[in-house]
Amino acid sequence: MRRKRLDSVGLWIARGAIAAACLIPFYWLLNVSLSTPSAIYKMPADYWPRPAVIDNFRAVFETGQFLRNILNSFVVASLTTLLTLALASPAAYALARLRVRRKDLIMAVFLGVAIFPAIGMVGPLYVAMARLSLIGRYPALVLPYTLMSLPLAVWILTHYFSTLPRSLEDAALIDGCSPAQAFLRVILPVSAPGLFTSAALIFIFAWNEFLFALIMTSTPESRTVPVALALFAGLHELPWGTIAAATVVSIAPVLVLVALFQRKIVEGLTAGATR
Amino acid sequence: MSKPGKATGRHDGRLAVWLLAPSLAFVTILGAFPVLSQFVLSFTHYNMKFADERGFAGLANFARLATDTTFLQDFWQTVYFTVMSVGLELTFGLAAALALNRIGRGRAPVNTSVVLPWALPTVVAATMWSLILNDRMGLLNSVLVRLGAIDTPVVWLGPGLAMGSIILADVWKTTPFVAIILLGGLKSIPDQYYEAAALDGAGRWHLFRFVTMPLLRPFIAIALLFRTMDAFRIFDIIWVLTGGATKTETLSIYIYRVLFRYSDLGYGSAMTVALFLIVFLMSLGLLKIMKVTREPLQ
Repeated sequence: MRRKRLDSVGLWIARGAIAAACLIPFYWLLNVSLSTPSAIYKMPADYWPRPAVIDNFRAVFETGQFLRNILNSFVVASLTTLLTLALASPAAYALARLRVRRKDLIMAVFLGVAIFPAIGMVGPLYVAMARLSLIGRYPALVLPYTLMSLPLAVWILTHYFSTLPRSLEDAALIDGCSPAQAFLRVILPVSAPGLFTSAALIFIFAWNEFLFALIMTSTPESRTVPVALALFAGLHELPWGTIAAATVVSIAPVLVLVALFQRKIVEGLTAGATR
Repeated sequence: MSKPGKATGRHDGRLAVWLLAPSLAFVTILGAFPVLSQFVLSFTHYNMKFADERGFAGLANFARLATDTTFLQDFWQTVYFTVMSVGLELTFGLAAALALNRIGRGRAPVNTSVVLPWALPTVVAATMWSLILNDRMGLLNSVLVRLGAIDTPVVWLGPGLAMGSIILADVWKTTPFVAIILLGGLKSIPDQYYEAAALDGAGRWHLFRFVTMPLLRPFIAIALLFRTMDAFRIFDIIWVLTGGATKTETLSIYIYRVLFRYSDLGYGSAMTVALFLIVFLMSLGLLKIMKVTREPLQ
C-alpha cells in the first residue's frame, strides 16, 4: 500500500515537471511582453514584470496591419480546412468502405506528395501562381496548403470511417437511399467527431505554416501571422517587447483550439498512428 | 465487424470513382506538376540571372553536388540535427508517455499544456526560444548568472553552441508529438497482458521490458518515421533562430538560398531531388524495419 502511494506521488511530480517544462517558455514570453524596454535589457533579468505595462500590446495594434495579418491567417486556415475536408472525406469513405482497385497506388500518390520536400514544391507553385496572378491573394496559400494537408486528412478519416458499423449503411439502403445518399445523409452526420478532429489538425497546420507563406506573399498587408512575426525584426532595431506581445496575440487562437479540442487532437493523432 | 452488406454492390465501383476523382485530380494537377518540373529542371542548366544560357545538363548538376563542400557540410549538419533531435525526442517522449498514461484527475490541464508546444507555429516557438537563449536579455543566462554558475553571459546562438540550442528548441516543440503517439500506443495494450505477466511473477522492469516495449514498438516506429522525415527537411526553426549562420545551415536552408537568392533553378532542383531521394530511401528503410518488428507480434 505504502509503495503504491509513493509511486503516485512520484508520478505526479513527474507530471508536474513535464507540464512546467512545457509552460515555462510561455511564461517568459508573457513576462517580456509586459515589460518595459529597460527592464527587458536587464541582466540578470527580473523573473516577473516590474512594472507591468501594456505599451507593447498597444504598439502591436497601432497600425492595424497586424490585425490584417491575423485576418489573413483566419481566412486562409478556414478555407484550407473546408476545402481539405470537402476533398478528403469522400475519398476516405471510398477507401474505407467501397471496393477500390489499385488502393495501394492511390495511397502511394498521397504519400508521395506528403514526402516531397516543401522547399521543392514552393518554386514551381510560385511560378504557377504568378502566371495566374494569384501571388499575395488567398488561393496562392489555400491551394498548396490543401495539397499538403490532404494526405493526413485522408489517413485519419479513412481510419474513422472504417470504425463505423456497417449496419448504418445497410439501414439507409433498406430505407431506399442510394449509396451516395447513405454517405451524405447518414455517414457524414454521424462522423462529426472525426471531422472535427481532422478540422482542428488542418486548421493548426495552416495557421502555422511558414515557408509558403513567406514566398507566396508580396506585401506586408498580404502576410499571414507567422511571416509577420518573423519579419518584425527586420523593420526596427529588434523591438523585443513588441515582438513578444505580437507573439502572445498570435498564440491566442491556437490556445483556444487546443483547450477545446485537446482530447480530440490526442485521439486524432493516435488514430493516425494506430493504423 | 459484420459481413459486407448491400453497400458493396455492383454500383460501388462507379461511386468510388466519383468519390475519389476530385481529390486525386487535385493532387495530380497541383502536386505532380511541381514534382515533375523539379525532376526535369534538375537535368538542365538554368539560372534565372543568365536565362539565355539555359540548356540540357545531363547529370552535371548531380556531379556538382558531390564536390560542393557547402552541400556536403550541410548534409552532415542535417544528419547531426536529425539524429540528435529525433533521439532525444523519442527518449523524452517515451518517458512523458509513461508518466501521463492512466492519468485520472487533472488530465485536461496536463494534456493541454503538453499539446500546446506542438500546436504552436514553429516561428512562435523559435521566437520564444530566442527570448530565452538571447545573450543580452535571455532567461537562461539570467538564471545561470543568479545561481553564480557563470560570470559573463553565454552566447547560446553563437559559434559552437548554436546547433545545440536549436536542437533544444526543436526537442521542446516536438517531444509532445512523440509523447502523444506513444501514449496512444500505451492505451492500446490490454490490461490482461499486464495482469497475466504479474501473475507469473514478473517484476516492474520485466513488465516494461517484455510486455510494454514489444507492444509499443510499432508506435515507436511510426513516431520515428514521421519525425525523421520532418527533421531532415527542417527549415523554419533554423531560419528564425540563426538563419543558417555559425554552422547551423541544413539542406532545406541551402536549397532556399540557391533557388531564391542565386536564382539557380537547375542546381537547386537537383538538390531538391537529392533531398527527396534521401528522405524517400530513409522512410523505405524505416518501413522495412517496422515490418520486421511487427511480424513476430502477429
